[in-house]
Parts: sequence; structure tokens; C-alpha cells
Amino acid sequence: MDERSYYTIDPEGKLKCLKCGVPLEKGKAKFLYLDNGFPVELPVCPKCGFVYVPESLALGKVLSVEKALEDK
Amino acid sequence: MKSRIPERGSTHVYNVSKISKEEIDSMVERCVYEQPPFCNAACPLKLDTRALLKAVAAGNFKKALQLYEKIAPFPLILSQGCEAPCEAKCRLCERGDGIAIRAIESAVARFGEQSKLGGVFRSTKKQKAAIFGSGLFVLFLAGELEKKMYPVTVFCAEPDEEMYLRGAAPFLDDAAFTLELKRLKRKEIRFVFGCEITAEFFRQKREEYQILGASEAAAKTFFPVAECTPDVMLYEKENLIMGSGSGVMDTAFGAKKAALTADRLAQNLDPRNTRGREGAVESKLYTDLSQAEALTRVPIPLEGYSRDQAMEEARRCLQCRCEECLKTCAYLRHYGKHPGLLAREIYNNTQIIMGDHQLNKPMNSCALCGQCTAVCPNGMDMARVCHMARENMVATDKMALAPHEFALLDMLFSNEEAFLSRPQPGFETCKYVFFPGCQASAVAPETVRAAWEDLSTRLEGGVALMLGCCGAIADWAGRREIYDHTKAFLDAELSKLGDPIVIAGCPTCAKQLRSRESLEVIGIWDILLQLGLPEGAKGLDRPAALHDACGARGDSVTQNAIRSLAKQLGCDLKEPKDALDRAPCCGYGGLAGYANPEVAAELTEQCIERGEGPWITYCMACRDRFARAGQETHHLLELIYGKDAQNAPDISEKRRNRRALKRDLLLEYWNEETKGMEPEFKITYTLEAREMMDQRMILTEDVENVLRAMRKTGEAVLDGESGLIIARARLGNTTFWVGFTEEGADAYIVHRAYSHRMQVVRRQG
Ligand SMILES: [Zn+2]
Repeated sequence: MDERSYYTIDPEGKLKCLKCGVPLEKGKAKFLYLDNGFPVELPVCPKCGFVYVPESLALGKVLSVEKALEDK
Repeated sequence: MKSRIPERGSTHVYNVSKISKEEIDSMVERCVYEQPPFCNAACPLKLDTRALLKAVAAGNFKKALQLYEKIAPFPLILSQGCEAPCEAKCRLCERGDGIAIRAIESAVARFGEQSKLGGVFRSTKKQKAAIFGSGLFVLFLAGELEKKMYPVTVFCAEPDEEMYLRGAAPFLDDAAFTLELKRLKRKEIRFVFGCEITAEFFRQKREEYQILGASEAAAKTFFPVAECTPDVMLYEKENLIMGSGSGVMDTAFGAKKAALTADRLAQNLDPRNTRGREGAVESKLYTDLSQAEALTRVPIPLEGYSRDQAMEEARRCLQCRCEECLKTCAYLRHYGKHPGLLAREIYNNTQIIMGDHQLNKPMNSCALCGQCTAVCPNGMDMARVCHMARENMVATDKMALAPHEFALLDMLFSNEEAFLSRPQPGFETCKYVFFPGCQASAVAPETVRAAWEDLSTRLEGGVALMLGCCGAIADWAGRREIYDHTKAFLDAELSKLGDPIVIAGCPTCAKQLRSRESLEVIGIWDILLQLGLPEGAKGLDRPAALHDACGARGDSVTQNAIRSLAKQLGCDLKEPKDALDRAPCCGYGGLAGYANPEVAAELTEQCIERGEGPWITYCMACRDRFARAGQETHHLLELIYGKDAQNAPDISEKRRNRRALKRDLLLEYWNEETKGMEPEFKITYTLEAREMMDQRMILTEDVENVLRAMRKTGEAVLDGESGLIIARARLGNTTFWVGFTEEGADAYIVHRAYSHRMQVVRRQG
């Protein structure tokens, strides 16, 4: 997998990990589906590693990639 | 939580074939959409008569002439001399007068503007053609070769074009002769007049030309033994194209064949090979004559049709085209393809190893309802094609779970958590078992209870109760393994009850269960006809439209029983358009609603448009979809038992209804308590959240599980902007996210919910 990220979201300090009490930061994550992987940058908790997928991303980009992969 | 049904892998199995090429070929052949209209099939010259008549009907004589000139270099000669076998084949002849095609062609030849294809744009071919002699065959052949862009020279004895044309087409009237002479002079045909057509003359000229043709008389002069092979119009020994004809049409056909031979010879190819299908053919097209009007021909005046008369006559044309299934099926209309084409594409889709399977969605959007087979004059069966294709995709591990997982999990829910199978209290085994069907318990649990209580009171020998799914969902999804497992499970449960006679409450269950030889299955409608209606049963006080169930297609016994029952109830039934075997599907069938909500909605809409409500159905899925579309709808059993399930439940309520029915009946009749099912914390939903969840197929139990996981791990995100806490959990193959606010320690208000199937993980580097 290359270093390129397919999608980047910066939490801009608006999101907080409830467990750790710290703001989420832009961090490296990966989507996996039907044996395919996509590197992305999403809001991640720097302490516990919680990766956050916002609603707009889930219903937009993520859904369309899912559908494309399902028809492969 | 582990997934109940494994997701597809990426290593596909290639060699399974649930659908053979031979079968698909024979299926595709049943669709006659692409068959030629009968007039066109009868024409050896293959005139696109349907298009020509359409153009004339619209007053577009220019386009009509273009179509006609494709087959006729001299339109007036052909239209005045043609025997017109097309006219006898016109389907209108069966009801009245066939279309006066020849007279219309003649009007087209007279009134059509000639397209201005002057010499400027012509890029002629290298091979030159010479044709010797006189007569219609030579004239037509010259015309055909000119159309094919060969430089053509005609060597003849006549002194000029006028004499030549007079000799070739003596039957032309004066007006036609003038027009056709003009046309001849405009063509890029070089005439050498006043020649002495002898063998010596031919020998002198032949070396200069690559394509040689002659009238029959000229050919015999050059070679007394010359013999024409009719298929190719060739004296093969000398590669001399020759011919005559027994009539104008036959001569035109001969010239057409001869021109193709010229093409083949010019390319140094065997003129006998790859010629395609020449001449008239038989058509298997179907034409619906029930709507045929205007059965009388516009009288043809001596001088032929005027423009207006030709248009009027052409407007009588039915424009033969078989679209019987497209007329009745919203799914086929949605994709805008006739089933022969769609079936072929879907089959090809199953054969793709690498790359996009673009037909997955169409294949999964068919309601598998069998309507097309009922309306098709040849029994084209899209349900079989789509079903086999689904099974094949599953068997080769190419079918993603996404379109069907919710339905499959719902089926597992029906046959596990909500499954109930008990003999009637007081009986060890029973003579009967009532099997209402999963949708009945989900949509109208009170009706299920009342029906069973009635049956077990009035029937002798004990009536057991079995709440579950017949397996139709797995069958529709093409999941053979799950279907077989369901079948074995139900068989084992039935055997525990003493292999009773199944009283089905749903026509689809009845059909599914009947497909197994070991079971005796009757419908509750049959039983109620025998027993008579229960006390208090009452029909509607207004006229109602009856919607037939796909499960009863081809089953006139059930269709009639339903009508008899409704009449006994006192219902004033109205038959909508397309009733009985022609009834469309409500959109639930084949899991269309899961794979393609848009098509399913169109199917529902099409059902509703056929008549005026209130509606009476005898399938709970139809009742549910009609009600969701805002129609007042009653299942026949609701009327019989006086229970109105009211508004359509959402997906979570459908589960709760099944659970509650099982819990209540177990306690009341078998004295069994069900362990608490309520979560240990309190959840309320905003209206917006409930609607969102119903549309996104997220259940309240999914939300409960997310919150339960959050309470255990403490993992959640606070969105400073919306003020919502957002938690998530991976449940099976799906990650669910819930946005909520807290109301004290153990109470939550859910505002939003969404999901995705992709897994998300952290990555290093
Ligand atoms: Zn954290």
C-alpha cells in the first residue's frame, strides 16, 4: 500500500475522546472491505486510538466505495 | 458480535454454473421483441416498413424516402411494379383491411424530397464495374452498384436514357416515368449507348473492369452455355454476374444479391460465404390486436394517394412491437430493456471473472414474481433468469452480502429468537399446524393470534402453531445453503409435531412449502371456506379493490377461494386492471425492496395505480407495502377476525411484534415465561432518529448494542459542535454509530444513527 491517503479529515479541535479526555487529532487510519484496504486520515484519539468516522463520510464516500467493491 | 453470515471472499470460485448457456439461449429466444414486424419479414428486400410508415404518419416524407431508397435505387419503378407480399402479412388483415403499403411507398417516391448526395461528397471505390445489356435487372444492378460507390458503366444498344428506361420499365405511368428519368440522369451511372453487344465486344472491354455484369440475354450471347447460380447471381466459370427476374420485386432482389456478390468478388472473397440472411423470413413477433382500431383502408384514387391520404393511411399502422411485459412490469421499464436483452446481459454478468459486475443490481432488483411469464406470449421467465444468476453469483462467491443481509438476518431472527413451534395445549401431536408466515406475525400479530385461536377451536385433531419463516427469503437471495438448512430445520420441527397438515396463512409460504413433496399444505382460505366464517366476520362497507398475491400466481384455486371468502364477508370487490395471474408484485417479492428501494417503490406505485382503494390483499407483505405508500389496505384475515393492525410498523416494531407475540402466547397457552428482553438502561428516540433508522435499516436493538458496548468500554467521542456523544460498535459485518445525549446515569436520548460496512482500523506508518 502506498503512502497516499485517499481521504483526509482534520478534527480542528471540535472532537474530544470521552474516555481519555483529550481532543482527537488527525491520524492515520485504514478502511478494510472485501480484502481491499484504503489508507485515510481521520480524527483519532492520540491516547487510546479511537478512530472516528463522521456521518457525512459514512453515507458519502464510504458508501460509494463499498458499492463499487461489492460489484467487483 | 460475530457475523451470522460470512461476507464474500475475494478468491472467487470459477467453475460453478447454476445457469447453462443453452438454457439462457433458449430463454432469450422466447423474447420476440427483436423479431421483425411481419411486413418487414415478408419483404425479400428487407424494407424497414414499420419505420417508413411511422415517418409517413408523421408527415416526414423525406425520411421515408431515405428509408425506401435504401432498398430501392428506383423507388417509383419498385412501388409501381412490386408484388408487395408485405401487404398480405399485415396483421390488420385479421381484423379488417391491411395497410396499403405499396400505395404509400408510391406516395413516398413521388412526394419525398431526394437527399442531395451530389458527386462532391462521393469517394468512389477503386474497382470499376461494367454491365452489359438492357432491362430491369441491369438497371437495378447499376443502381445498387452506384449506391455502393462503384464507378459503373452500362454498355447498351439503346440510343439514350429515355429509350433505355422505357424498355426496362414499360409499366410506368407518364408522371412516374418523367420523375424516374430525372432520377436516372442524376445518378452517377455512365451509359455508353448504341453499342453492339457481342461476344467480341465483351472480350475487348472485360480487361478494363474488375466487376462484370450482364443481362441474361447478353450473358448468353457472350457464353451460350452461361448458367446463373441463383444464390449468388453468378455465372461462376467466368465470374460474370448475370440475371433476370420473373417480376419487379424478384428482379430487385436478384440485383441486391448480385451487388453483394460484386462486393465479395471485389475483395477476392468467395461470393458464397458470409452473406448473412437474405430474402423473406418468418417472424415470431407477437402483436396485441385487441387495441386495433381504424380497420378500413383509405381508398386509393387512380392517380395514387395524396400526401394527406398517405399520412392518414400510414397512421392506421399498429407499429407492431411486442412490449407486453414492459407494459406491465415497472422493473423492466426502470431498466428500459426488453427481457431478451436484459437476460443476456445478466447471464454475461455471471461469467465475469475480473472486473465490474454492473448487472448485480438489476439482477437483484427483479421481484421474481413471475408476472412477465404470465403476460409473455412465449412464457419468457425473467424470474428464473435472475434467480439462477443470483444462485450462481453466490455459488461462485461473487455475491456481496450487502443487498440481502438485512433480510437474511431477519429470516434467522424469525426462525430463532422469534420462532415458536408448539402443539395445541392438550395434544402431543396434531393433525394440523397453522403457519401464518413471518410477515403476518410482524405486521398483524393480533390477527395471527385470533386466527390460530379460531382454527384450534373449530378444527378436530389439534392445531399446532408454528411462527417462523418458510425459507422464501433465503431462496430469493439465492442462498441455497441457508435455504437447505432452513428446510431441514422446519422439517425436524414439523416431525416433532407429528407431521401435521400445514395450514398456510400466506400464499408465498404455501407455494414454498408445497414445493416439498413430503408436506401436505392447504391455505387458511381453503379451511375457512369449509368451516364457514367465524362469528362477527365483516367486510368493508365500501367497494374495495382486490390485489392478487404473486404467491398465488397460476393458482386459480387460491385466487377463487379468496374471492369466495370476500363475497361471503359481504365485500363489494372491484377487480383492478391486471388481476389474477397478471397481477404485478407489491415490491416485496424477490427482496427487491432491500436491493433496490427505488425499483420496489415503482413496483408498489404501479400496483396502486391500477385501481381505487381501499385495497384488500391476502399477503401481509402487500398489505404492509400498500399501507406504507399511504393506501388504506386490509388483509382479508384482518377483516375476517375483526383486527385492524392500523398503521404500518417500522422495521424495529416488526421485530418487537414477533417477539411479543411469541412471549405472550407462550405464557398464556403453554405457561412458559420468557426471560426479560428489555435493556438495563432507558433509551428514547427522537422522531427524526426513528425515521432515519427505518430508512437506513438500523434496528433499535442495534442501537441498544452500541450503547451497551459504550457502557462497558467507555469509548465515545464528544462532538463539541452538535453537543452529541457518538459511540460505535462493530456488529457482525456492519459498524453502527449512534449519536445521543444523556439524561442522567442510565438514560439516553438517541438523535442520530448511521452505519457502514467497511471496517476502520488505525494504521502505523
Ligand atoms: Zn481516547
